[in-house]
Amino acid sequence: MLVPYFAAEDTAPLAAEKLLNVGPIPFTNSMLFGILTAGFVLILFGLAARTSQAWPKSRLAFYIESFIDLVFGLMAESFGDRKKAARFFPLLLSLFVFILVANLSGLLPGVGSITLNAGGEETSLLRAFTTDLNSTLAMAVLSLAIVHIYALRELGLVGRFRHYFSGNLLNPVNIMIGINELFGEVLRLVTLSLRLFGVIYGGEALLHAISALAGNFAWAAALPIMFLEIFFSLVQAYLFMMLTATYLVTAVSHEGDSKSPASQPAAGSA
Amino acid sequence: MEIDPSLIKGLTIGLGAIGPAIGIGLIGAAVVGAVGRNPEIQGKILATAFIMIGLVDAVLAFVLLILFTTG
Repeated sequence: MLVPYFAAEDTAPLAAEKLLNVGPIPFTNSMLFGILTAGFVLILFGLAARTSQAWPKSRLAFYIESFIDLVFGLMAESFGDRKKAARFFPLLLSLFVFILVANLSGLLPGVGSITLNAGGEETSLLRAFTTDLNSTLAMAVLSLAIVHIYALRELGLVGRFRHYFSGNLLNPVNIMIGINELFGEVLRLVTLSLRLFGVIYGGEALLHAISALAGNFAWAAALPIMFLEIFFSLVQAYLFMMLTATYLVTAVSHEGDSKSPASQPAAGSA
Repeated sequence: MEIDPSLIKGLTIGLGAIGPAIGIGLIGAAVVGAVGRNPEIQGKILATAFIMIGLVDAVLAFVLLILFTTG
């Protein structure tokens, strides 16, 4: 075989590796790097918030504020109501920023290549948070749980039930449509988590494969893939935020006394 | 009958890339048409187009995932 000797060993295994045990819970390398990522985002935004003024003197505060304003404009557009958008904005913005930083952190040098000896086998110390299916599933569960809680609070139990099983319930077609919608809810969970995980993990595996194929010219061959990865990180973080926003819009809106019937089909189609 | 695993890998990426390729092509054609009709809302159209590209791209990501994780 003409495969370079380091071809297969580089790709990270599908499951995150265990570093140590905290009681009965294994502490994995993706959890470690996830905590570091969250700390970085918190410190960045904390610094920006401390120096934020009506006339910002600090450059960091200015950039962060204009970024937040940009995202808020997007959200206000998709909610169609600035007050409603401001209510859900903290969740959506933190999802976006955290996922973006976690995606990009996988491209840093040293992530995956720094190893240590944990329990007799060599494991990498750091692993990007979103290349672990557990973490993306946790984020998807969190955002969908919030969607359901807000929908229950806004519409009540009966309204939530009628959201799925609408129309005359003696008609079996309406019941079948309701069951179909319920399956769709489960499918949302699967697609939301698996899409983010698949794109980021697949991209990193692609990066390893390309650099292994290029041999001595890995630095040149991996560069375009790096740019592709940066683009995908942005798109996936944006997509996660927008899908959560769309689910919130469709779940929270009142269908019976809809004030803007034109916006309803456009929001439900994505 | 013995089948070479690399043949199956090649078929996986080859057949799996057809769908996303067609999908992104359709999105691109629709975006060019839409921007040509009303260029003043180009930003809005491009934002929606990137969402759609992200949705379609996930299929290719699953193919890559299967390709790289099976031995």
